[in-house]
Amino acid sequence: MYKLFLTLRYLRSRKIAYFAMAAVTLCVAMVLIVMSVMGGWLDQLMWRAKNLLGDVIVENRSYTGFPMYEEFIAEISRWDEITQATPVIHTLGMLRFPDQPITRTVSVVGIRLDEADRVTDFRGSLFYEKFYPGTTTLAPARRPLLGLADTTLNSAVDGQPFRPPALPEPYAGALREARRRHAESGSSEPFDPQSTETETNRVMREWGGPQFPGVFEFVPSEPVLTGEPLPGMIIGRDIVARRESDGRYHRFSWLPKGINFSLTLWATSDSGMVDVTPTIAHFRYVDDSRTGIYDIDSRHVYVEFERLQQLLRMEEGERVDDGGRIAARCSQIQVKVREDVTDEALLALTQRMEAVYQRITQDPEAGLDVDELQMAASVEAKTWQQSQAHIIGPVQKEKMLVTLLFGIISLVAVALILCILYMIVLQKTRDIGIIKSIGGSASGVASIFVLYGAFVGLVGAIFGTGLGYVFITNINEIQDWLISWREDWRIWDLQVYSFDRIPDQMKVWDAIIVGVIGVAASTIGSLVAAWRAGTMHPVEALRYE
Amino acid sequence: MSNAAPTTRPEDTTGAANPDALLQADGIHRTYQLGQVKLNVLTDCSLHVADGEFVGIMGKSGSGKSTLLHVLGALDVPQRGQVRFDGQDVFAPESARRTAIRLLDFLSPFEKRRNGLRRRQFGFVFQFYHLLPELSVLENVLLPRMVAASTRAWFARREAARQDAAAILERVGLGERMKHRPNELSGGERQRVAIARALVHKPRILFADEPTGNLDAAAGRKIMELLSGLHKEGQTIVMVTHDPGVAEFADRVLTLERGKL
Ligand SMILES: Nc1ncnc2c1ncn2[C@@H]1O[C@H](COP(=O)(O)OP(=O)(O)O)[C@@H](O)[C@H]1O
Ligand SMILES: [Mg+2]
Repeated sequence: MYKLFLTLRYLRSRKIAYFAMAAVTLCVAMVLIVMSVMGGWLDQLMWRAKNLLGDVIVENRSYTGFPMYEEFIAEISRWDEITQATPVIHTLGMLRFPDQPITRTVSVVGIRLDEADRVTDFRGSLFYEKFYPGTTTLAPARRPLLGLADTTLNSAVDGQPFRPPALPEPYAGALREARRRHAESGSSEPFDPQSTETETNRVMREWGGPQFPGVFEFVPSEPVLTGEPLPGMIIGRDIVARRESDGRYHRFSWLPKGINFSLTLWATSDSGMVDVTPTIAHFRYVDDSRTGIYDIDSRHVYVEFERLQQLLRMEEGERVDDGGRIAARCSQIQVKVREDVTDEALLALTQRMEAVYQRITQDPEAGLDVDELQMAASVEAKTWQQSQAHIIGPVQKEKMLVTLLFGIISLVAVALILCILYMIVLQKTRDIGIIKSIGGSASGVASIFVLYGAFVGLVGAIFGTGLGYVFITNINEIQDWLISWREDWRIWDLQVYSFDRIPDQMKVWDAIIVGVIGVAASTIGSLVAAWRAGTMHPVEALRYE
Repeated sequence: MSNAAPTTRPEDTTGAANPDALLQADGIHRTYQLGQVKLNVLTDCSLHVADGEFVGIMGKSGSGKSTLLHVLGALDVPQRGQVRFDGQDVFAPESARRTAIRLLDFLSPFEKRRNGLRRRQFGFVFQFYHLLPELSVLENVLLPRMVAASTRAWFARREAARQDAAAILERVGLGERMKHRPNELSGGERQRVAIARALVHKPRILFADEPTGNLDAAAGRKIMELLSGLHKEGQTIVMVTHDPGVAEFADRVLTLERGKL
């Protein structure tokens, strides 16, 4: 009893204890902030990674691809756990910008838009599809031009009537529908918070005319759909737009929707030979996609699966030499499973898939030749964790490393507690002698100072968790405030980080773990002083001047 | 107070336990090692204290009086010799004796016993009062009761302890000053608080180490009157002093010279 009593008294009377508490507070807050930001970043990344390719992918990591995918998909689609499976083709290509001397190497992805959307929620990553719902398609289509409406408005600038811009159908109707939905949702966000203002929209804002998300080419006549119907291409957003440091995208007036891009491709034969004569194909820029992973959004373009398959000569064909059948190929299958499938079940599922694929391809009925059997042999099924380990792994390590570093820095607080408590023990030598003279045991006296350290840790941990929580939950506001002073005080540069906001969630478990470690570390910091106090000889302590 | 019979030689011989003695010390040796030099402070000290006695120990400054009192009060461990309280040994046999303090003192039965004696049977009064400055007068007096009680027992007996403390403070004439801090009191008052603290757990023996050594004559006189009053009520007292005027209050006075009584 006297231990706790004296601990509390010494805490109250020694102002220096507040420094120790402040040090623990700051260290706990610091470690928590780091853990929360890094952890939040990691969570976002994991979530994106899971959404990127679906829950399971089947592939053989070769541009040659692998056969019998339709049969395989048909079989696994009957399984209870499988929600959707879709074939994908990956290849490399050269993307040439329209009327510009710009060429870029890109990863070309052949997808079935509807199926891909069910596997990875791909439509959710699209820009034009959001404001013109139902208009983005990879099938051949014409290009929409912004024309003049057949009604007039009075200009807010000079009161003169003018014909406002208008889009052709189905774009005009889709935009009306999107606006209606946005209004109904009651959201306080602007209709398009993600884009910088285009020239057309700035003028329309001043004149009081309608706004059009995105960029359309303007013709001073009727709004029309123009040009040849061309297959569509969805382009990674960072290829066609520039991300500003506030996270918004700037779209260029020379890259309007529907403009014609050309893509140069090289077919890879079933024997793995790369065709030396390239294939050039034309596509319309129908939309841009943002997954949030810069590597992908700055490199990927998406076209229709069957079209890409033809261009790469991966479709079903007839062998020239013996007239036998050549099986169609894809380079990846993305699979979505039911929500309630656990990680272990997912792993088991991949093994089952591999077994089924091998059974299908080795069936003599399939009639695969040697080359095809070789392709099939290297096909693997992987869970999203396995296939995205190269993205997640480094961030996981980074989180651990940074937490560890800050933990080591926090040892300074432990050293501070050690020094302060040692000092207090020396100052209190006489008291220690008195307590022992009235029967206080060595361990009892020692525990006064252990309790002291634990108490400093506890108070520090509580305030540190509070401080960390307030800081973390307001971290974006703090950054906004900093930016309001100087733009270059932006810590979370959105040109660099793909997430719009700094992670601002604190996990209860992180707080508990850091708090417990904080208390434990402070207690450990008090042990030397406690040992000194406990083993002090009572007579010498009483004689101490 | 006429019983001032300074003897250089104790009446009892070492060895056999004296049945009347509450406290008996036999052949106490206490030496200090100062670098290469060995300082023999106590060499073969023996004495006994009967229940209800007021024993005074005289000696020059530096003669080892405090050292002897600390050994008798189980605060210090002698290299040789044994102290018996109520017929029981206070120190381990010489062969197994340790003088250093161990953190895990509860593992050693003799250290445990000494802690227990100091908690329940002994009370100490020092020359420099030795009050805890952070605690009020009442809390200082309560401290021995707190140390002696487990947390649970403390909460059960807190009120009784408080009443005992108030009563003893009343007895030493400080009933009005319970809420004060020690630094708000005079030297004589502080020493009276120290006496109250030494008596609050009703110890069998009160050890006083020059209780008047730091006080002026008037305050010292008051302290001595208090002590002899307590003695008349039956309190056993062992007091150390270098002042013959103070020693007069004792029933029996022993003189410490060259490490012997
Ligand atoms: N810890 C110690 N180390 C060395 N010498 C000591 C120690 N404590 C006391 N002494 C010496 O022991 C002798 C007796 O001291 P003490 O018992 O305090 O005498 P008194 O109380 O009679 O004045 C003194 O000479 C003192 O210097
Ligand atoms: Mg002395």
